[in-house]
Amino acid sequence: MSENQQKQFVFFGGKGGTGKTTCAGAFALKKAKEGYKTLVVSTDPAHSLADAYGIRIGSEIVSLTYNLWGLEVDAELEARKYMKGIQDQMLNIVSAAIVEEIKKQLEIAYMSPGAEEAAIFDKFIEIMEMVGKAYDLIVFDTAPTGHTLRLLTLPEILGAWIDHLIDRHEKARKLMKMSARYDEILKKKLEDDPIIRILHKRKEKFSFGRDIMTNGDLTEFFFVLNAEKMPIMETERAIAMLKKFSIPVGGVVVNKIIPEEAGPFFEKRRSAQEDYLEDIKHRFGEYRIAEIPMLESDIQGMVQMEQVAHILRNL
Amino acid sequence: MDPKGEKGFWKNAWHWFKAFSFGIFIDKRMAVVRKEAFDEYDNLLLLLYSDFLGIPNPISYYMLELLPYLAEEIEPWERRIQNRKFIVAEKAAQYDFD
Repeated sequence: MSENQQKQFVFFGGKGGTGKTTCAGAFALKKAKEGYKTLVVSTDPAHSLADAYGIRIGSEIVSLTYNLWGLEVDAELEARKYMKGIQDQMLNIVSAAIVEEIKKQLEIAYMSPGAEEAAIFDKFIEIMEMVGKAYDLIVFDTAPTGHTLRLLTLPEILGAWIDHLIDRHEKARKLMKMSARYDEILKKKLEDDPIIRILHKRKEKFSFGRDIMTNGDLTEFFFVLNAEKMPIMETERAIAMLKKFSIPVGGVVVNKIIPEEAGPFFEKRRSAQEDYLEDIKHRFGEYRIAEIPMLESDIQGMVQMEQVAHILRNL
Repeated sequence: MDPKGEKGFWKNAWHWFKAFSFGIFIDKRMAVVRKEAFDEYDNLLLLLYSDFLGIPNPISYYMLELLPYLAEEIEPWERRIQNRKFIVAEKAAQYDFD
C-alpha cells in the first residue's frame, strides 16, 4: 500500500465487463505475495473469479496459492440456509401445523426482490468477522455498480427502519403491559421478549457493517473502468454515491488501455483514449490511479494474473 | 370461601363487591387499553410483514427470523387486516356511546 496503514477490506467495483474480477484477483495475489493472508471473495451473482485464476472455487473457502484463499458467495444457497434455520427454529417453538401454514410465507419472502442482496449482505458480515483471526485482508470482487451500491447502502437504510420498529414494538408493549395489569395470563406471556432481542441483534449487525464500511482506516473502494465515455460517467456517479454514504474511495484502475504498438487500425481509438485518460486524471485526480494496458490475450490463469499484479504494485 | 357463618357472609359480600366494581369501573376501561394495545401490535405486524399482503418491504427478508415467535399470530392478523373496511367505525367502536 503506497500510503498509510494496511487496509483490511478492499472492494473492487465498476461497470460490467471492465475487468473487476481480474483486478480484484490480481490485487489479492499481490497482497498475498507481500505476505498478507488474503481472502478474495466474489459477490457477483455471475461468478468469474474461478475462471480468472483457472482454479475451481465454490461456496466454500478454498486455498488458491500460498497465503491466498478464494470464495464465491452463492446468494441462493445462503438464502436457503437462512430459511432452513428459521424453519428448524420454528419447530422448536410452535406446532407443526402452524409451521406448514407459515412455509408458504417463507416461500414468498424467498422469492421477493432484495432477498438475494440481503443474503449476500449477511454473508458479508459473516466474512468481515473473520478478519483479524484467519485473514489479514479481504478483497471483495463485487457485482456491477448498481447492484453493489444498493448492497453497500443497505445498512444505512435498514438501520433506520429497525430503529423505527423497535420504537413501535416498545410502544405496543407498553400498552400491552398496561392492559395486562389485571390479567395474569397475559402478564406471564409478556415477561419474555424475544422480538426485541432479535431486533437489537439485527441492528448491531447492521451497525457493525456500516462502521467497517465507513471507516477509512479499514476499508477502501476501488473502481475499475476503461478509458471510454460511459464507464467514466458511471464511475463518477458511483463515487458521488459512495461519498454520500461516506464510504472511502481509494482509487481507480484504468483497464484495457490500447498500447502504441497496436498498429494503425487502433490509431483513432488511441487518440480518443488519450483524451479520456486526461479526463480521468482530471476527474479522479484526488485518488490513486493505476493503468493496465491491453495485453496480447485475455487475462487468465495464475501466470498472467501475476503480470497484472505487478502492474498494480503502486495501488 | 366458607359459606356458613357471619364471617363467611362478609367475605362473600366482599368478593362480589370486588367483582362488581371491577366489572363496572375497571374492566371496561381496560378493554379500551387492550384494544389499543392489540391495534398497536397489528400495526407492528404490518410493518414487519407487509409483503405478505403484497406491499413491498425493504426488510422483509430479515424479519423472517422473527416468524417463529410470531407464527401463531400471523394467521388471525392476516384475517383481521384484510377485513378492515371502515377505520372510523372501528375506532369509534372502542368508545362507549350508549
